[in-house]
Amino acid sequence: MRRQRRFADCNARICSNEQTTLTMELPDARQSTLVNTVLICRDCDTVYRALTLRRGDVALCRRCESVLSRYVGTDAESGLALVIAAAIFFAIANLTPILSIEVGGVETKANIWFAVLSLQQGWISVAAFGLAFTTFLIPAAQILLLLWVLLFARAKRRPPGFGPVMKLLHRIRPWSMTEVFLLGALVAIVKLANWVHITAGAGIWAMAGLTVVLAILGRCDPAAWWSIGARRRPWSS
Amino acid sequence: MVQLRQSFEVGLLLCRTCGQAISRTSPSADPRCPRCESRIEHRTPFSTEMTLAWLVAGIILYVPANVLPVMHTSGLLGEADSTILGGIIEFWRAGDWDIAVLIFIASVAVPFTKFIAIGLLLITVRKNSRWERHQRTTLYRIVEFIGCWSMLDVIVVALTSALLQFQMLGTAEPRAGIAFFCAVVFATMLSALSFDPRLIWDRRT
Repeated sequence: MRRQRRFADCNARICSNEQTTLTMELPDARQSTLVNTVLICRDCDTVYRALTLRRGDVALCRRCESVLSRYVGTDAESGLALVIAAAIFFAIANLTPILSIEVGGVETKANIWFAVLSLQQGWISVAAFGLAFTTFLIPAAQILLLLWVLLFARAKRRPPGFGPVMKLLHRIRPWSMTEVFLLGALVAIVKLANWVHITAGAGIWAMAGLTVVLAILGRCDPAAWWSIGARRRPWSS
Repeated sequence: MVQLRQSFEVGLLLCRTCGQAISRTSPSADPRCPRCESRIEHRTPFSTEMTLAWLVAGIILYVPANVLPVMHTSGLLGEADSTILGGIIEFWRAGDWDIAVLIFIASVAVPFTKFIAIGLLLITVRKNSRWERHQRTTLYRIVEFIGCWSMLDVIVVALTSALLQFQMLGTAEPRAGIAFFCAVVFATMLSALSFDPRLIWDRRT
């Protein structure tokens, strides 16, 4: 049957990473509401039995090949280190110029905020808001919320408002556009280099660092941080 | 071989926010995830309607985004308004074909891919099609992934007008087109996020 072949394909493609095979299980509908032994595919709703993953493992859906779960190597400690790195990169990216040009002794600099302010003209400010939202507000919120969750997790406590915070983190993730800003800055360099002398500031490197760190943190979402919260919950049954 | 089943066939529900599987013990009017407290829906309510609404909004906004100028430059060489396509052609003529291709992909190819792909997904879901379901799910994931990259042009225009601020030698200012373009990016992203890919796999009779 068709499904069988897909599974074979899918197996072959991932065997370098010790593909974890998933089998179907019929869970008995007992009273418990949380079912931790089962994974459900987000994209096609297929049910699988969850298996323990080893380093480098990715569990894929047989049917649609979306990622069911990944091996999580980041605990609260290293997660916190990454978030602090992200916060430092974010501060540098916002405090130092990302690009600067010089014409006849006059120099202008630009970073995220200069870019946002330059779009503030009458109702074009809609675009300024869109830019500030995706390249400043959302990354800042991601860093602060993760910091909140992980600081408590490290102290082996469940952070206040853990559920809503995690929900918010999940919701805002698609709107973070740090990597797009980085590419935009590179395009601007090439675009203006023909006419003026343009130099990249410290901010562009910080932006690159931030992109990488946020990408690593993004891979852990969401199962990893949820399990941190669950493990550090001494008082709840 | 094992048979693959969907969650409702075995009495389970998925919380799409936190990825938790939940057993459906008592069907209540307002089921919430015990872990993250978000509402649990069998399928995202009004998924196709919302997707279609945002898609149409995106397509309508895409017209002024391309017709209206996105940037106004003035300097020693005179004044000029440039549109997105005009800018791409300018780069191509100036020999910067790589930048031209990059902006073309981000500003023309990506939005069009989104329009066509989401349209295709909506039509096939509506017709209960069983055609290439795996490929269509992949298509959905591609649309989700490329979502934010159309923002590139907005960022380039913003940075250019932030940098070119020399009164005599040259200035660059944003124009209305860029606001429309930003709106297109948001509308198409909302459209993709409203779509529930599980509808591709449902067999409704």
